[in-house]
Amino acid sequence: MQPSLREDYLEAIQQFSEKNARLPRYEELAVILGKPESMVRSDMEDLVSSGDVSLLPGGVIALTGQGRECGESVIKKHETLQCFLSEILGMDTTAASDEACTLEHAVSDETIDRLGQLIVKQDGIGHHCWGRKGRQLSPIKCTVNDDDCECSSISDCAEGENVIIHCLHGRACAKRLLDLGMVPGQHVTVKRKLSDGALVVQVKGCDVALSPEIASAIGVERLS
Amino acid sequence: MKIALLGNPGVGKSLIFNQLTGLGIEVNRYPGTSVCLECGNVCYKKEKIEIVDLPGIYSLDGNSEEELLVRKFLEQGGAEVIVTVLDATKLERNLYLFTQVTEFSPRVIAVVNMIDEAERQGLIIAVDQLSSLLGVPVLLTAASEGRDIDRILPLALGSGRVSALQVPYDHHVEAALKSLEKTLGAPRYKSLLALQGTGEDRMLLDAAGAVAHEIELRHRMSVRQIIATNRHNLSRKIAGSAVSQGDRKKTYDLDSLLTRVVPGVPILIAILFFLLLSVFVIGSWMQELIVQTFTTYIILPFTALELPPLVERIGFSVLIAIEAGLGIAFPFIFTFYIGLSLLEDTGYMTRAAFLADRAMHRLGLHGEAIIPMVIGFGCTVPAVMSIRILKTRREKTIAAFLISMVPCSARTVVIAGIVAAFVGIFWAFSIYVIVFILIILTAVMLSRITPGEQFGMIVEMSALRKPQARLVLAKSWLRIKEFLFIAMPLLIVTSIALGFLQYFGVTEAFEQLVAPITVTLLGLPEYASTALLFGIFRKELAFETLAVLSGTADLGSVMTAGQLYTFAIVSVLFVPCISTIAVLYRQLGARIAILISVYTVFLGLTIGAIINMLIP
Repeated sequence: MQPSLREDYLEAIQQFSEKNARLPRYEELAVILGKPESMVRSDMEDLVSSGDVSLLPGGVIALTGQGRECGESVIKKHETLQCFLSEILGMDTTAASDEACTLEHAVSDETIDRLGQLIVKQDGIGHHCWGRKGRQLSPIKCTVNDDDCECSSISDCAEGENVIIHCLHGRACAKRLLDLGMVPGQHVTVKRKLSDGALVVQVKGCDVALSPEIASAIGVERLS
Repeated sequence: MKIALLGNPGVGKSLIFNQLTGLGIEVNRYPGTSVCLECGNVCYKKEKIEIVDLPGIYSLDGNSEEELLVRKFLEQGGAEVIVTVLDATKLERNLYLFTQVTEFSPRVIAVVNMIDEAERQGLIIAVDQLSSLLGVPVLLTAASEGRDIDRILPLALGSGRVSALQVPYDHHVEAALKSLEKTLGAPRYKSLLALQGTGEDRMLLDAAGAVAHEIELRHRMSVRQIIATNRHNLSRKIAGSAVSQGDRKKTYDLDSLLTRVVPGVPILIAILFFLLLSVFVIGSWMQELIVQTFTTYIILPFTALELPPLVERIGFSVLIAIEAGLGIAFPFIFTFYIGLSLLEDTGYMTRAAFLADRAMHRLGLHGEAIIPMVIGFGCTVPAVMSIRILKTRREKTIAAFLISMVPCSARTVVIAGIVAAFVGIFWAFSIYVIVFILIILTAVMLSRITPGEQFGMIVEMSALRKPQARLVLAKSWLRIKEFLFIAMPLLIVTSIALGFLQYFGVTEAFEQLVAPITVTLLGLPEYASTALLFGIFRKELAFETLAVLSGTADLGSVMTAGQLYTFAIVSVLFVPCISTIAVLYRQLGARIAILISVYTVFLGLTIGAIINMLIP
């Protein structure tokens, strides 16, 4: 089976089950794709042998994990391309959708990623274009060192402890910290800790004094 | 020919500069900034060489005044050769700045200083290896011993060259640099700055901003972090292959005492107290000596000349001003500056900042703010200028209020000259106590109402060193020179103005006008208001003027102890002097300058009135 045909099937099955909250049967799939039911049946057997779908009793078709992954990725590509063609290049929506159907099979993941970011940057466009709220497709927004990182902060460390800087949040993004060598991956030693959490840390052979609020924004990996 | 010294703070640049140029230093305040550039000339092989000591910085792409200044200097090719001074004991961190300097492609030599300290720590630096890695000549020096400093000039002039060193940036950053160069023709260093959001070229900034955003999304890390990490990695590689660790001599770590709460905080308090006390004691003693000599040998002979009244009045005003200036500058300010330079040069100030961090947080500030506050004991003007080290406007505003209230040397003169002399030494200290309590109350109040955010302290602890007498003196001399040049002319002009006003009877009219406040509210004689008014020009003028107006230097005979005490506390709290108001205006704008003036007048009058009521 041709890769593009396989992707079309998987996309159609995934789309159907998302839309109707149930799995499709042979005849329904045949209607969507505009193909004779017999052809769909024989193609399904190929997909079963490639491990993309499994057939359930009553002519119901279900995607395997691998099949779903592929289907979702094709849908994402389709949506991104369609959005790009219609909203940014200004093409007619139907024409954009048709063209996206062809392009989606050939385009690389990186191109899609970049197109996605480009679209998000054009204010507001992303919204009405991505019907399904973007899902995994929605590119990461302002997550440079987001605060949900779970590593422990350097202010939790005891005097004499060796740690590796993992990430810098909010305040700690200060230029001065970077200039002093406090960058992710750097080994530092806690040399002195006062009861309020003010620290002296040794980094690259230099001692640096930090206020408690700065120290608590430095995420570290503790050694030993 | 012009060469410039560039490097991190505390790498011994000033010491090298001092040894290269001797004492013939000019200080140029850079237009529009409060940053000083020190320049000096030397003669080398019958050619005049100008040497510039650039302010110490950690990086070239920040936006602090120092960084902007150095960047502009490099962009404009301000010097033929840049001598980058590196600290041998912290080579890796120092190379970070070096990698940035090379991006501006100046002719460079690298001076690895403090090699004596590195030897003590057992660090061995392979000069040839380092030189070939950096692509420029490298010289090892030990400025504290004067070792090989004389080789700097010949090397810089003879073989300074453009380094081919280039930081290998992350490939996305490199791609961005390439495309910015292709589309907008921007040089590498400009594109790098623009990617971090710095620069003036709108087109470049917009283009770079878009790419930077994309890079940040890919890496989940800011472009700043990526660039800094790349530079640090290169520095580590270079330092790693040029520096090896030999035997380390075991030394006692003084920091185990200085940076702990006990005994660190008691030591800190003792040091600050001792500093103030010695300024107070030495200052009063020396001032008396100077004033007495000046009066006996210059002022008395002058009055004996019996010139026409107006001429005599003006001549007298000028002499009084000079006397006041000298009487303050050398005894109080110079003594203070020597103490301050000692604290700075030993590296103790950064420890003080660390220890004070907690207390300063209560005042809405952080540890670094202790430095301007301590400077404020000397003179408020440089103290206000130094608040630029604080990062947010909130911190600057609070610090400015507090510094304006810290008793500077001139106010010390008032306290020493009036209260200590005529009321008693303990009463003099009680004024300090009252002022400190007011400072703390003001800070607590301000930290509640000042809008804006607070930024914590990030300070590199300078290594503890033995201070060099020569350098301490040179530094104090530079500072006092600045004071003499700013303050002296102002002192003379205002003194002449006072002479005129008195001659034409304007001061009397003024005294009548504000008599209700002076007499009723504060319980002072009428002429005290003129003295207070002139205290606005320079604080110590309040004291001098009072003596002139009351017609005797023995103030105890014309005013009661209570009156003298009230007068002193009002003039200590009352409006910062006019030069302070001017720098406040320059640093923080008219609003804050006016607010501070109004607040301190209000505070001075209120406290004065309360004390007047309490006095039986």
